Amino acid sequence: MSKTAFFRIAFQMRQKCLAAIFLAAVFRVLTAADSVFADETIGFNEQIRSILTKNCLACHGRDELARQADLRLDRRDAAIRSNAIVPGKPTESELIHRIESDDPDSIMPPPDSGHQLTTSEIETLRSWIQQGAVYQQHWAFIPPTKAPFPATNLADWAIAPLDHFVLSKLENKGLKPSPTADRAEWLRRVSLDLTGLPPTIEQVDRFLADESDQAFEKVVDRLLNSESFGEHWARMWLDLARYADTKGYEKDRHRDIWRYRDWVIAALNRDTPYDQFTIEQLAGDLLPEPTADQLLATAFHRNTMENDEGGTDDEEFRVAAVKDRVDTTVQVWMGLTMGCAKCHSHKYDPISQQDYYAFYAFFNQTEDADREHPVIPTPTATQREQVQSFEAELSQLDQQLNNETSEFVEAWKTWQAQFDDLPLWTPLRLSSIESNANIKLDQDAQGTLDVDGELPEKDTWKLVFDVIAGQTITAIRFDTFPKPAGGKWSDKNVAMRELTVESLEPGKEPRQLKLTQPRADFSQRGWEVARAIDGKSDAGWAFSPKAAQPHAAVFDLSEPLTAGAEQQLCFTIDQEYGQGLTFDRFRISSSSHPVEWLTADLDPVSKLKTTFRRQIYPETKTIIGRMDTLRNSLHKVKQEIPKTPIMRELSEAKQRVTRMHVRGNFLDPGDEVSPAVLPGFGDPPDEQVVNRLGVARWLMHPSNPLTSRVMVNRIWARLFGIGLVETEEDFGMQGLPPSHPQLLDWLAVEFREEGWSIKQLIREIALSQTYRQTSAATDQQVANDPRNRLLGRGPRFRLTAEIIRDQALAAAGLLTQTIGGPSVMPPQPGGVWKTTYSGEDWKNSEGPNRHRRGLYTYLKRTSPYPSMITFDAGSGEVCQIRRVRTNTPLQALVTLNDTVFVESAGALAQQMDQAGDSIAAKINHGFRRVLIRRPNPIELDRLVTFYQDVGNEIENGEALLKAAGLKTGDPKLIAVANVLLNLDETLMKP
Amino acid sequence: MMNLKLQKTQAITRRHFFGQTGLGFGAMALQALLTNDAHAADAGYRIPAKAKSIIYLHMAGSPSQLDLFEHKPALQKLHNTTCPDEYLKGKRFAFIKGTPKMLGPMFDYKQYGQTGQWVSELLPNLSNLVDDVCVIRSLHTEQFNHSPAQLLLQTGNPLLGAPAMGSWVTYGLGSENKDLPGFVVLASGGKTPSAGKSLWGSGFLPTVYQGVQCRTDGGDPILFLSDPPGLGRKARRKTLDAIGDLNRYQHQHVGDPETMTRIAQYELAYRMQVSVPEVMDISKEPEHILKMYGAKPGFVSEAESAADPRQLYKGDDPTFANNCLLARRLVESGVRFVQLYDWGWDHHGSSLGESIDETLPIKCRQIDQAISGLLADLKQRGLLEQTLVVWGGEFGRTPMMQNNVRNELKKGFIGRDHHPHAFTMWMAGGGVKPGAYGQTDDIGYYPTVNPVSIRDLQATILNQIGIDPQRFSFSYQGLNQRLIGPTDEGQVIREIIS
Repeated sequence: MSKTAFFRIAFQMRQKCLAAIFLAAVFRVLTAADSVFADETIGFNEQIRSILTKNCLACHGRDELARQADLRLDRRDAAIRSNAIVPGKPTESELIHRIESDDPDSIMPPPDSGHQLTTSEIETLRSWIQQGAVYQQHWAFIPPTKAPFPATNLADWAIAPLDHFVLSKLENKGLKPSPTADRAEWLRRVSLDLTGLPPTIEQVDRFLADESDQAFEKVVDRLLNSESFGEHWARMWLDLARYADTKGYEKDRHRDIWRYRDWVIAALNRDTPYDQFTIEQLAGDLLPEPTADQLLATAFHRNTMENDEGGTDDEEFRVAAVKDRVDTTVQVWMGLTMGCAKCHSHKYDPISQQDYYAFYAFFNQTEDADREHPVIPTPTATQREQVQSFEAELSQLDQQLNNETSEFVEAWKTWQAQFDDLPLWTPLRLSSIESNANIKLDQDAQGTLDVDGELPEKDTWKLVFDVIAGQTITAIRFDTFPKPAGGKWSDKNVAMRELTVESLEPGKEPRQLKLTQPRADFSQRGWEVARAIDGKSDAGWAFSPKAAQPHAAVFDLSEPLTAGAEQQLCFTIDQEYGQGLTFDRFRISSSSHPVEWLTADLDPVSKLKTTFRRQIYPETKTIIGRMDTLRNSLHKVKQEIPKTPIMRELSEAKQRVTRMHVRGNFLDPGDEVSPAVLPGFGDPPDEQVVNRLGVARWLMHPSNPLTSRVMVNRIWARLFGIGLVETEEDFGMQGLPPSHPQLLDWLAVEFREEGWSIKQLIREIALSQTYRQTSAATDQQVANDPRNRLLGRGPRFRLTAEIIRDQALAAAGLLTQTIGGPSVMPPQPGGVWKTTYSGEDWKNSEGPNRHRRGLYTYLKRTSPYPSMITFDAGSGEVCQIRRVRTNTPLQALVTLNDTVFVESAGALAQQMDQAGDSIAAKINHGFRRVLIRRPNPIELDRLVTFYQDVGNEIENGEALLKAAGLKTGDPKLIAVANVLLNLDETLMKP
Repeated sequence: MMNLKLQKTQAITRRHFFGQTGLGFGAMALQALLTNDAHAADAGYRIPAKAKSIIYLHMAGSPSQLDLFEHKPALQKLHNTTCPDEYLKGKRFAFIKGTPKMLGPMFDYKQYGQTGQWVSELLPNLSNLVDDVCVIRSLHTEQFNHSPAQLLLQTGNPLLGAPAMGSWVTYGLGSENKDLPGFVVLASGGKTPSAGKSLWGSGFLPTVYQGVQCRTDGGDPILFLSDPPGLGRKARRKTLDAIGDLNRYQHQHVGDPETMTRIAQYELAYRMQVSVPEVMDISKEPEHILKMYGAKPGFVSEAESAADPRQLYKGDDPTFANNCLLARRLVESGVRFVQLYDWGWDHHGSSLGESIDETLPIKCRQIDQAISGLLADLKQRGLLEQTLVVWGGEFGRTPMMQNNVRNELKKGFIGRDHHPHAFTMWMAGGGVKPGAYGQTDDIGYYPTVNPVSIRDLQATILNQIGIDPQRFSFSYQGLNQRLIGPTDEGQVIREIIS
């Protein structure tokens, strides 16, 4: 590159850096065209494609509807045929004539397009045509291969394979790598990168003292094996999965889908190979006999939004969700943008509108339709263990119970014999009846009463029964029998609105007996048996819709009655409902046995064995008691098991016909399409598997040129701040070319060949010499490579929203390290949630949940946690491939003033206070807890001075202590901690 | 132990570093940061601007055009008759089921001003200013549910994830005030609009462009603006000095320009802590100005924290008026885009507090004087010419009565359903010609003359603020994303601009 060109770029970048946005806020524009990698020879992919793409292909490319003058410049044969390009002869090429023209009617691109070629672009096109106008396939669509390590001069620098590629590039540019970082610097970097948490002082000291050859490996392996690894890297994946705790749109109601978040954490911690990780999420439900976990994984695509707003068309938002799934799948795994092909063929990448809907057809066959359905119970590991252990014990106890010993049989026979003398129930003998409707009752030998003749419309009876003197009565029982067909009343139900029982003894006033424990084999809804003795006649006992079957009800006497001489009982039965709902055939009995034995079963005698087991025989009594407890616990656990939405394929018969949507409008269906993967990207899937499983396997097939590159690049970007391909979201023709093509391909092939292990890939990078370089840069380095695209120094960039929070809590010793569970609500200013209608409320968590990792903070799509979005976290509305990093004053307000950070400052101050006697020792300790390294004397001195100065200025120490969550302590140390948590170094990865 | 000589050297270094170099660095960086106000990338989309600022008054829920601006005697004649089939066949409604009855305008209309515009009795103050506004009667949209319709209007995309108009504008033009956000949002009515904070999200643009909601309900006007209790401004100043010194020292060793930016941002934050409460404090406004708007400083309405605020609405609630006055103060201070959302305009009549006959008059009382005050105040300060004021909902309301709960006229429960086919908005100031534009048919069902799409409206707003709507784009997901969408159907309404 010429010197002038460099300065022009440097100037532009400077301009961008100075762009004033909000309060002249400065951020890094990440889309800057990077010309650092231009080679001397003119390569189509390196130099020409971007010029054509940006300026020409919108009208002279793939999109047949937008094509002008029937000219295509995306294909060499077509461009030559139309004379636009004459290889070797720029002056004869129409293309050159047009771009150099000063006639507004003839110049290309047309002035109103807003595009204009620069002189150097024109020059480049000229030279390229001069050189023969060679076209190349887009680099990312050619499967990657491993290149041999390039030769380098600096011996002994490279320790990992990837270092060779980095060093070679640096040397080609005449540059040298940076020195190795201090151990403390590397340790902080690698800890934050692998787990999102800073190391503890003990871990720092252990590493600094470890002189073994494996010191670095030991750290990396410890970090990879820590459960915090999965928590940290899950965040990256959840951004892609557009994970959130609500459904989006107007109502934005709660959605239980945190079990999916925990699935991601666990899968990463297990180092689930990326192919399996992919297949389970895209098509776990289609695997043979899927496990519960594989079904849970499919919640990936149930993170799409649902619109619960009144009056919405479910189909409209189902279609929107399916399109989101299509776009997200292609974005996440292939780094391509399909969005535009919804409405028209892609202008640049080889994806037609037909291709879009053919791919859409795979995703158009799931049951969900803008509703919560389908969901499945997704127990946590603890819940699953509990259910299993309860069920196992229950089944074992059940066996034990049914295994009757001879002792049991003997005891049962003995106990049962008592009913030969004194039956369980004895029918009461009717003495007299009073009826408003003057009906008569017949009683047969079994004691059954029968209405003589037609039933009245309604009636109240007073039935008087004789009781044998000396008999004890503990309870009474009603048995009713179905009414015969026909007759005046078609409804065969009975409505006993109210029942009262009185004791009649000669010479005494009638005495009402209190009835308790009403129970029945069946009651009509709203006419439960208890209502027959509630003293109100509005409702009582009835049994629609089961009026055609016999029924029974039992009422205990609150105190057993022992019959005197000529004892009688009077039953008053209110049957005034109307429509003939009175008893027809029924029986009233009494019992002398303990009420615990008396059930309302239709055949109460058959239940005696159960009674004996449950209440009488000691061994079985114990077993059943335990079983009851277990059943209760089991029920409780099952109630608590969260239900998670999953993907489920429609049955064959219900499969949808997929049609094109004309201009993307689902109300305007076009031609029918059959499912097909995008043509031209690797081998097509097995024709037998025409579903999402086929799609997932096609994505992970070794012939797919993009999947591995995209994932490797994504992980690289998280570690180095910028991907080898900066446009992580676009590996298509509009994306930027890779800074180190051979390195990217080497890593991509290695990743796939070594079994898709994400941990192995990260390990490789974290232990490389490239990663071990210090991030300190000289002015010269910054000038040469302002954004470190050549990797001549260590990565230094702002930490993510979650790490900034977690780091503060960890340094302060406040962090609650519980893995998984429902999302939590750490303190948020009042009044932030004011969502239409949802009625859901933010309740600041107290106790350990107040200080969980940022990953677990409840994410409401229409009102994300304020401090998180301020630090560029997403809202989970759509797939977020990468987060832009900004640097704004609102961020300063968060880390200076937000409760979380003030409380962290308080706890950190307390840690400092306990760490030594001198102020310097206290501050030194705080510094190390936050920044890992030791302060140098100048820094320490400045902080001590601050400590001394600020003392006189703090307005109200008591109030500050309280705000920081402390009862006692040194407010000045809180101020120091506040400074430490706000240092640039603290907010940046070292 | 450190030797004495080293200690002395370090002390000198410290003084030197923190004392002189530090100051120099900071001052330089700050100056560089504050003098730029425009997005620096390819600014080929900039065109001469008519307006410097925009005040967008969004009545969330969508007021009835038929009861405010659309005088339809023919509809009055059809009042309470069965709706003809032609208006129902093939149409999708949010709530109307089967065959509803027609609902005539509920309020009296008169003509006002030199332009002779019809305005209903619900807007007595605004009617006197009709000669200052351009009423567009022929708006139409593609969406008939609140959330997608609001998103389409405010972000150009009915699905979530695109930047708000205010984000686009501040991205394109920057802010005029170095101590205030360029895009401020004020909400009233007790709820955020249906589509939530996504309506002022920055979507795929960097988050610095997201709207900053300034709250008026007693808490921090901007989240986290207040220092922790007990700290005090002087201690905060010392804190920033210490952070700044240590950061400069860090910069000397690590050399990352980002560090200098951070120092500047902390200083800006410090200044905002003063400037934002100052601009948000309307109690300093003179009595006659407060009266113009009907504003009451410090008033916090019950409705603002109610679970269902609609039943607490009172006509003299000054919350919206206060926001209008704040809007003027903000644009006066150079804020580029002030977005007001007032919730509670969704008058279906199916439950209490959302009827055309009872709730609409209350909501109109809340805004009529406030908006008139705003227009008059801007005018008397000479600000109206450079401030584009836009008023409207996200769609219109049906000429039919909503019938899903009851199909007869019942006091307090008369409502209209969502109507995407035709509705009214107005604009004032910012180079927009007063008058009327567009017409609808006899019952206000469809536009008949000069239909205006949401895209046209967006194109016109961008045009007035000095942005070429066609050229203004941001590359994302392989597309040149634009506020006006991917096609060029959106065109500036040339007839209404001067």
